[in-house]
Amino acid sequence: MSRAVTLASSLSWVAFLVTLPLWMNDLYFLHVLIITGIFIVAAMSLNLLLGYTGQLSLGHVAFFGIGAYVSSLVSLGFEIHVWGETTVSLEPKPVWLAMLVAVMFAGLCGFMIGKISFKVRGAYFVIVSVSFAEVTRLVALNWLELTQGPMALNNIPYLKLGIPGVGQIDFIGKLPNYYLVLGVAILTYVIIRRLVRSRAGRAMIALRENEPLATSVGIDVTRFLVLATVVSAGLAGLAGAVYAHYVRIVDPDVFLFIYTVTMVIMVVTGGKGTLAGPIVGGLIFGILPEVLRGFEVMPEIQWVVYGVLMILIVYFLPEGIVPALRDAWRRWAGRSGTPPARPTVVVEAQP
Amino acid sequence: MDQFLQHALNAMILGGTYALLGIGLTLIFGIMRVVNFTHGELYAFGAYMMYMWVMLIGANFMVSIVLAIALGVALGAVIEIVLLRRLRGADIDTTMLVMIGAWIAMQNIEQLAWSGVAKSINSPFPSAPLVMGAISVSWTRLFVFAVAVVLIAATNVLIQRTRLGKAMRATFQDREAAALMGVRIDTVHTATFALGSGLAAAAGALLGPVFVVYPTIGDLASLKAFAIVILGGLGSIPGATIGGFILAFMEELGAGYISSGYRDAMGFLLIILILLFKPTGLFARKERIG
Amino acid sequence: MHTSSVKIAFAVLGASLLAGPAFAQETIKIGVTQPLTGAFAASGNYVAQGARIAEDEINAAGGVLGKKIQLVIEDSKSNPTEAVGTVEKLIVRDKVPAIMGAWSSTLTLAIMPKIQEYKVPLVVETSSSGKITTSGNSYVFRISPTSEMEAVAFKPLVAKLGIKKADFLNTNNDFGIGSAAEYSKMLKANGVAIGVMETMDPKATDFSAQLTRIKASGGDTLFVTTAVEQVTLILKQAKELQLNTRIITTGGSNSPDQLVTQAGDAANGSFHTVFFPPWFPDVVTNPEPAKRYMTEWAKRGHEPGGLTEGFRGYDGIFTIAEAIKIAGKAEPAAITEALWKTKVKGVYGNIEFIKQGPAGSESGQNIPSVYLVKIDGGKVVKSGL
Repeated sequence: MSRAVTLASSLSWVAFLVTLPLWMNDLYFLHVLIITGIFIVAAMSLNLLLGYTGQLSLGHVAFFGIGAYVSSLVSLGFEIHVWGETTVSLEPKPVWLAMLVAVMFAGLCGFMIGKISFKVRGAYFVIVSVSFAEVTRLVALNWLELTQGPMALNNIPYLKLGIPGVGQIDFIGKLPNYYLVLGVAILTYVIIRRLVRSRAGRAMIALRENEPLATSVGIDVTRFLVLATVVSAGLAGLAGAVYAHYVRIVDPDVFLFIYTVTMVIMVVTGGKGTLAGPIVGGLIFGILPEVLRGFEVMPEIQWVVYGVLMILIVYFLPEGIVPALRDAWRRWAGRSGTPPARPTVVVEAQP
Repeated sequence: MDQFLQHALNAMILGGTYALLGIGLTLIFGIMRVVNFTHGELYAFGAYMMYMWVMLIGANFMVSIVLAIALGVALGAVIEIVLLRRLRGADIDTTMLVMIGAWIAMQNIEQLAWSGVAKSINSPFPSAPLVMGAISVSWTRLFVFAVAVVLIAATNVLIQRTRLGKAMRATFQDREAAALMGVRIDTVHTATFALGSGLAAAAGALLGPVFVVYPTIGDLASLKAFAIVILGGLGSIPGATIGGFILAFMEELGAGYISSGYRDAMGFLLIILILLFKPTGLFARKERIG
Repeated sequence: MHTSSVKIAFAVLGASLLAGPAFAQETIKIGVTQPLTGAFAASGNYVAQGARIAEDEINAAGGVLGKKIQLVIEDSKSNPTEAVGTVEKLIVRDKVPAIMGAWSSTLTLAIMPKIQEYKVPLVVETSSSGKITTSGNSYVFRISPTSEMEAVAFKPLVAKLGIKKADFLNTNNDFGIGSAAEYSKMLKANGVAIGVMETMDPKATDFSAQLTRIKASGGDTLFVTTAVEQVTLILKQAKELQLNTRIITTGGSNSPDQLVTQAGDAANGSFHTVFFPPWFPDVVTNPEPAKRYMTEWAKRGHEPGGLTEGFRGYDGIFTIAEAIKIAGKAEPAAITEALWKTKVKGVYGNIEFIKQGPAGSESGQNIPSVYLVKIDGGKVVKSGL
């Protein structure tokens, strides 16, 4: 496949997704796609850590939740008592600004976790990241004055954007949010693609493959780990912010470990360390529940299936679906006489 | 002062079961290099088995505890043989993913089997507490503490005094060398996972009658076990024992004097601090990280 | 290659989505959102069981407008965001014209903006927070009493029980905080000193720290507001810590029979507000539906402890069915309109709605009876409210 084919394939995918709402007028299905899209963005950001630097970050939902909470709080405004009579208050800000603050704040948290991840690796890093997410959940649960605790932040405003020449767009309801999520997903894809193809990206991959070697040839390990974590956390925060302004309610359970697990399953199933992996995994696990529901499968059975599927994937497709398909494609293409495609081409053909 | 003594007593009692949880997890990590995400599910399994035997079948309370632990050991052995044996030598992330898959499947099977409604287990002890001046403690909790102490002691004897324990220690120090010396690694791994699982099930079976049982109780148990193990240093049994008590004291005093809402946050804050300043844990001998 | 496989997936999906509403013509769907798993699972399941009894009873009597009714029950997992998700599903996917829910005040408050967005009426069967009917949401119709009504009804008992100093232990959500606020206001107005006001997470199971502090406060009465799971544990742990104050649970979701079985003699001496006393069916306003409901509950082998909770779902479904009858069609706007004219002889009493909240966008509120019972010697007895 040449570059032109790759580009055409990417464009046709985007065109397909852009025109989808025109012929698919089922609003509920659109809702499923929006939620799936948000999780795909989060999974793509996790893939940067899990797939490209090889850090098993199991606290990823913390960045997603922080993005959701920060964006909600900045757009709703708040007043808290810090010490005695001293209060800190914030007037409600426009949603786009709130989302920007959320991305930056999540990125900042990523910076700190990135620093820690240099100190501790392997099992220790996993446990630190899980603990970090759990602490954020407990803060959201107990800091009633700021977060409303288990009562949730409700009535979160939706995004309003004034676009020159078009006028103001209200991101309320299914259709505008579908396009918002699609746009954010494409943006995330492009950012991650540029990053992993850059010098920094090659350094990260070298790091994953052989850290001592990478260090010995002069790669600054900490710098790239921190860079990857900051970008990854910021994008997860963006996903969280989009989520908050779409569902318009956030509660502390957004930090639950199960959501990290959902993202991990998406990445691992699709193929970690591939650009298309989280998208394929995300589509499967985002849409599968609705398909299963058609067969009246109970949600518990569905989760049992997920768990078993995850084990089977690790045993039989340890690289994930996308690399497996890529290999199959190459074998098939090789047998039928066409020259084997470069390993990365098919993988990177999706938006 | 009375309030402090009461908090200290509560912490002491809770610390025993925390230590059980921690020892099980630290054994599995130390010997097998597996971060066991199913640990909390074994805890829940122990609690549900207790519910089944005591409340549904009507078995004797003491017999039920023994049965719940035995079933926990058996389930642990099955998990090791079916899921982990074929992953021997795989990297730690791979086994972790398998254990996460197993955890999700097990938790939802529990939910299917027992429904999401919390179950409570009757204990045969008088509900009037043992009173010592201004402080008091229920007989059930005292019993739980006593059994936990016995199990901790028994585990230590097993590790220090038996042939199996010797093989386990040898594997812990150097797997290849142990294998060369004729230690059967497969047996050691199965025994270790079964023992660790049995201890988690024991903690569940003991705390089930004190609190209530519901399908997601294992999640917090897992996270607390992680905290304890990090506190004590991965792979250290005395560390896990002391870590269990430290966590219980921090939680209880934090809840009593700071805010009850942050009770469960204590452990995690502790983990983050320790890993920042003393990553090998408070009590670990020199040990490689990872 | 990917494109085509995904298209196939979409086709399969489309088919499965279309397969759903095939038989929608013959039935009228009513949406129910309840916490069937998680922290409030016991209560949510009881309400759902009560709703099922009403469904079968209505259908056995010929249904509504010549069609059978069909409940679509979704699990909110005791979580506000999940609750919003269930409402989204019920309205957008199942196209229900009316919804009953959402048990906890927090869950109800969470779904109210959605209800308003889609203009679908909501019959609230359990929640007690005042905010629900005063925030200007004209699609909300509540058949359960508010915390304020409960506190006012409790007033004569303050002197009778000789309450001098009261402590509080409640969940840190709308239900618990709202109830503690109303009760403490009423108690203060009646000259009762307030000791400590402790809160807990709805999922917590160990209350030794809070109870130790309550013991140090030295009040004569402890007001507890939470669901039955936590009440059971609190009674047991209070006894373990020799907390000898009088314990009164508020909010009506305390299932005294379940407390007797699960907390044993730790439940003796405690008081509980309930909104339906199944032990004395003759004192209620409408003994006839109460007895019918109780007979069917027993016949189906449901937990006797759930009787004080299940009737909420039973009444809620009857209320919606009656409104559909009056509306003459199963459409949200017509049902909302009809709910104002609906009168049901229910277990809650004579259900009808008065206007509450800001003029122009009032919510409907029913005024049910409140009962206080006591557990004594392992039995539930009258206590004079």
